[in-house]
Amino acid sequence: MKITDACVFPYPFGDSSVGRMALEAKSLGFDRLVADGTQSGEYYGIEILSGILVRDTSVRDLVNRVKRERNKDAVVSVQAGNNGFNRSVITMKGVHILRGLHSADKYAFDHVAAKMAADNRVAIDLDLSPIIAGRGFARQRAMHRYRDIMVLERRYEFPLTISSHARSILEMRTVREITGLCSVVGMDISDVEKAFVGVDTVTTPSPPAVKVI
Amino acid sequence: MGTRPPTLREKRRYLLVCIEPAGTIIDQKDLYYAVSEATTSLWGDVAAAVITAAVVAWDGQYAIIRCRRGTEQDLSIALSTVATCCDIPIALRMVAASGTIESLREKLRKIKTPPQELSSPRECMFDKKMFQTCQCNGQKIDVIEKGFKNTNRLFLIREDLEEL
Repeated sequence: MKITDACVFPYPFGDSSVGRMALEAKSLGFDRLVADGTQSGEYYGIEILSGILVRDTSVRDLVNRVKRERNKDAVVSVQAGNNGFNRSVITMKGVHILRGLHSADKYAFDHVAAKMAADNRVAIDLDLSPIIAGRGFARQRAMHRYRDIMVLERRYEFPLTISSHARSILEMRTVREITGLCSVVGMDISDVEKAFVGVDTVTTPSPPAVKVI
Repeated sequence: MGTRPPTLREKRRYLLVCIEPAGTIIDQKDLYYAVSEATTSLWGDVAAAVITAAVVAWDGQYAIIRCRRGTEQDLSIALSTVATCCDIPIALRMVAASGTIESLREKLRKIKTPPQELSSPRECMFDKKMFQTCQCNGQKIDVIEKGFKNTNRLFLIREDLEEL
């Protein structure tokens, strides 16, 4: 089981180099980071997975982009949009994670999308940055959405991932702190443990439904 | 109000936290306001009144924060939501919790390693730009871009720097 922060933004998107983030992640208790805009590799015993975040794009452009990235060894994630867009994303082969549901509209992720995510093994990302740095309405809305996602997760059991969306080492949090923050949105320790290994769930190919002997 | 006998005093817990990045100059009062604001905004006034967080000791890089016994978990969650103090980006990393300040001071004496301060800021190159080192501890090195326009701090490791 590799404890993974599913999204960080090292330099040039943030102010910390990928090596420094890895060093910090090691002291914070992580085993792996998904870093946007970097190559896969290993620093100080921390595995770095290359991450690709696709945002602000139409479904047609998204299909082309995902096709291009499919054969690369990268974790592909897509910024959530409206309900129709999200359903298209979830059924798309090559997409691993759907992000940013806290800022999407109220009906962006419903029970149908949840069922589809479980069937297609697409993870839903819980971005902790609005809970850490947000205040007031923005944080309340994020907490409400995450609680709603947890209700659907308990029913349909789709994969979850947890990310700090850190652009700096100062925005990264320890595993214990993240567990505490997740308890605010109704996640218990087993939910958090499952979410920490959510990247493994979506990146390993699913076993075939029918086995030919 | 006189001092109460020990059996009537409310039980306290003390958290030892490390303030990052190293070398950040923060006033104790400002840190208290940041902790208080984080606690109130996360848990509300009622819970914040029960927690009664206070910064009781502070030495620049480490601080000891007091709370009521049984609320240390809530306080530690609130501390993880402290992202700035007086518009300076910081992070509070919890190191230990204890029932006495003295035991935390003892722990602090054991863990505290003075950062390898540079005698004079050294010039270095990163991403084809000139930087000046401002903090250095083992592999970790913090730099600030030279010039007066951009004074943001970058967090790097020694391997990132290019030889001049």
